[in-house]
Amino acid sequence: MRFLVNPECYHKMCESCVDRIFSQGPAPCPVAGCARTLRKQRFRKQTFEDLQIEREVDVRRRVAATFNRRESEFQTLRDYNNYLEEVETLTFNLLYNIDVAITEAKLASYAKQNAADIANNKALSAQESASTEARMAAQKEQARLRREAARIEEEEERREREEGRREIIEKIAHSTDDPDKIVREGQKVVLKKSTARRNAADRLRAQDAASVDNASAPLFQIAGLRPITQPQLEQVYDPFGGYVVKPSYFELQPSYAHPWLEKAKTDPQILAGGYDVGEYCARTMMEACAGLGVFVEEEVARRERAADADLGTQSAAIAGGEGGGSGSDVL
Amino acid sequence: MAVSPVVTHEATSNVKVTAAKAKSLAVRTNSFPHKTEAPPEKKQGGQELAERLNHETKEKYVKDKKLGEGTYAIVYLGHLKADPLSKVAIKKIKVNTEYRDGLSMDAIREVKYLQELSHPNIIALHAVFSSKNQNLNLVLEFLPLGDLEMLIKDSEGIRYGTAEVKAWMGMLGRAVWFCHENFVLHRDIKPNNLFIAADGEVKLADFGLARSFSDPYRPMTYQVITRWYRPPELLYGARFYSGAVDVWSMGTVFAELILRVPFLAGNTDIHQLELICQAVGTPTEEIWPGVSKLEGYVGYEKASIVPVRGKDFYLARFGTAGPVGVDLLMSMLALDPRKRSTARQMLEHRWWTSDPRPTAKVDLPRKGGGLEKMGDDLKRRGGEVEDGRGNKVARKLNFGATK
Repeated sequence: MRFLVNPECYHKMCESCVDRIFSQGPAPCPVAGCARTLRKQRFRKQTFEDLQIEREVDVRRRVAATFNRRESEFQTLRDYNNYLEEVETLTFNLLYNIDVAITEAKLASYAKQNAADIANNKALSAQESASTEARMAAQKEQARLRREAARIEEEEERREREEGRREIIEKIAHSTDDPDKIVREGQKVVLKKSTARRNAADRLRAQDAASVDNASAPLFQIAGLRPITQPQLEQVYDPFGGYVVKPSYFELQPSYAHPWLEKAKTDPQILAGGYDVGEYCARTMMEACAGLGVFVEEEVARRERAADADLGTQSAAIAGGEGGGSGSDVL
Repeated sequence: MAVSPVVTHEATSNVKVTAAKAKSLAVRTNSFPHKTEAPPEKKQGGQELAERLNHETKEKYVKDKKLGEGTYAIVYLGHLKADPLSKVAIKKIKVNTEYRDGLSMDAIREVKYLQELSHPNIIALHAVFSSKNQNLNLVLEFLPLGDLEMLIKDSEGIRYGTAEVKAWMGMLGRAVWFCHENFVLHRDIKPNNLFIAADGEVKLADFGLARSFSDPYRPMTYQVITRWYRPPELLYGARFYSGAVDVWSMGTVFAELILRVPFLAGNTDIHQLELICQAVGTPTEEIWPGVSKLEGYVGYEKASIVPVRGKDFYLARFGTAGPVGVDLLMSMLALDPRKRSTARQMLEHRWWTSDPRPTAKVDLPRKGGGLEKMGDDLKRRGGEVEDGRGNKVARKLNFGATK
């Protein structure tokens, strides 16, 4: 007796029952308490003894057909791993009937949104598996041909050796020459023949190999190639790397007159080392204006918006609160 | 009833909490509901907050393994707790014998300037925290591909040309220019302080000897910069100098990149000056007005004076850089710091826009320096060389000299 299951509810029933109940068209499952409508067409033999596993494999196959993205499509390994985790959560939910409706909706919406990508990847993997199969078949066929050729060759050689020996015996029988000499000559002829044949066989084999290589060339695939990005047009080299340092709150004057600075502008000891009062003036101007336009509250608010809800945000809020308002009590 | 006045007194003093204090207390209690984490004894508000912030920063990072240990620091490989794939180098400064009561000056300088400077060609300081025993930990950018010195020394394995030199010098120049624009003197530029990031970017590191531009009449020490890269004004004991000292160092690094051996490898300060006289020219009052007023200046006899080397002399040695490149090198190695080009002028030179174009950073030659090399480099103290090539070159910063 053969038992069949239907992936709708995985209730086991024998072949004759299936024929009897479902021949007339769809009918409810006869198992008590299960009212699902089943169709005869979808009944099949179970692969695994454990029906749980049977079901899990079916679900996984269905999910994998939709979520068939490859690692090469992701920018980082981390993104790929996150994607895998999400897919696994989805699968788990389907397997253990958690939020099935929501999960199914997610699956459907993803399939709808990424239909083109899914089809693309499906075609790609079909092509890959086809080429692998073809390559393996070709290799098998080649091995068979090689074995055949080797067998034929061996047979030929044996036959020839036999023939050579018979010839020598014939010669000895019908001639008056020295038998030893005849034997030696005869052996030489046999050797020559076999060498010539071997060379010919080698040549043939090399030819064979070359032709097989050519035939399988388009089937050869390298996995793991990144998509080629078009090289960008070369920009003009900027020695400053795009950085501009320009004071926005003051205009630096070529010289500032102050009695305190006069000696530093003329003292040879100070000048000879390369010290420049102008640099000092620029620094003091910068330091005087350094705090202008800095609003800690705004900065913190911006940072908070950008940052995730992690520890960093919390510490920023503390630092901001202290720095912005009540500095007197800190440290 | 003897107790009651005391109680009332305490109560009134409690009320006298300033408005500001009240506000900060409110902020603290709002944001930190986990009171259980606090240390048992009650401390002053500010201290406690600082401890909490420090604790939070410390908890963000995980130390993975030790990369190297020196007398000055231990270097660990670490990662962010939230992201195991991120990598950082954690430099733990040892409490050393010289500064038992506080932090070593190197560490303070490094933190002070690195936290201000944010530039792609300067090593990034992500965070600072103290661990047990008040050890200071610097969380630095992870730079796994070794330093420029490794590439220069490996003349068998690594070949490079003018385009590569231009790319490296460009990145170094940008880093130094950015320091100077922000009024920071690096004072220890040399190939093994130039780290290489995973993408080939050169990053200036080791700010242990850095300081900001000095005020007028405030002398600085001249015992800085590793000797081979030290400019003549520092060798003559100048106490007042500017960013020109870093430009000289860049010039010697430039020459070293072309020659693939240190350009001016002096054994002593005197020897260093001799080498400078031979290679660049003898400093005299004519070409460097005021040089004889410097403390350490030694007069030269008329016969021994080497005239300032001309362009032909440089072209013979640095011909691969081309006439324009030699022109830039000469401007960086001018004896008189006032005539030396500044970092900005150096980047404005026409060499950068002339042929060949600098190599893109992804195509630059690289050598797996690996983790150990970064550990070795970071554990060094500023001004120290450890590989035996120039053990005597090491020079510690002498803080007594500035007083």
